[in-house]
Amino acid sequence: MWWKVILFVGLAAVIVFSFITPAPQQVIGEASRIFYYHIPMAWIAVLAFAMAMVYSVRYLRSKKFIEDIRARSAAALGLLFSILATISGSIFAKISWGSFWNWDPRETSIFILLLIYGAYFALRGAVAVEEKRASLSAVYAVFAFVTVPFLVFVVPRMAPSLHPNDSVIDADLQFTMGASVRIIFFSSLALFTVMYLWIFNLTCRVGALYRKIIEEEDI
Amino acid sequence: MDGNYIALFVTLVIWVGIFLFLNSLDKRVKKLEKHQ
Repeated sequence: MWWKVILFVGLAAVIVFSFITPAPQQVIGEASRIFYYHIPMAWIAVLAFAMAMVYSVRYLRSKKFIEDIRARSAAALGLLFSILATISGSIFAKISWGSFWNWDPRETSIFILLLIYGAYFALRGAVAVEEKRASLSAVYAVFAFVTVPFLVFVVPRMAPSLHPNDSVIDADLQFTMGASVRIIFFSSLALFTVMYLWIFNLTCRVGALYRKIIEEEDI
Repeated sequence: MDGNYIALFVTLVIWVGIFLFLNSLDKRVKKLEKHQ
């Protein structure tokens, strides 16, 4: 399929250019190359949590289990990409600030976000009845998403932080990157999104197949 | 700069591995969907 070729070649090109071009931020140095991977991971986590909320609302309205499968898949991928963003951020923190974890406002807020979505899966695991589990977790996912904009965009900017807040745009909403950095960064963002949508599609299809098999075994 | 090339190689290997895994999973899921 054509989009798979574009994804494969495009992301390979992003990887090559992210390492052979000059570091995006000369003050930070070589460690700033992580910017091409860390920000797309964080963006996908937010996108996935938003999708989990949308599919949860759709489940509550339709009571169709496919919507629950989609909400669960999106939340799982959101959690996975949050963990990846946390790990890549910790590596950057070690190089830039000398410690993997500093309880910086950004680190603390992502930690709370991980706990919130970790609790989503604890809730799912604690309820045995399928309808009840789907309804409870859908309501939880809607309320959990309310915290996402605060924990990702607001809280880290309320207190002094070591984390760079102007990697993409500054306070005047102007791009802080040069032209070549912008091309690599936005290509990375777009291709990471395509990869996420592919993984999301696969996890939903596997979930639907698994449910079908379980239903057939019950009959 | 040498470290950059090592990191570039490792990242490319990881990406090729992820892509091949996803592609084979896609094919397997398609097969299973046909059987269902």
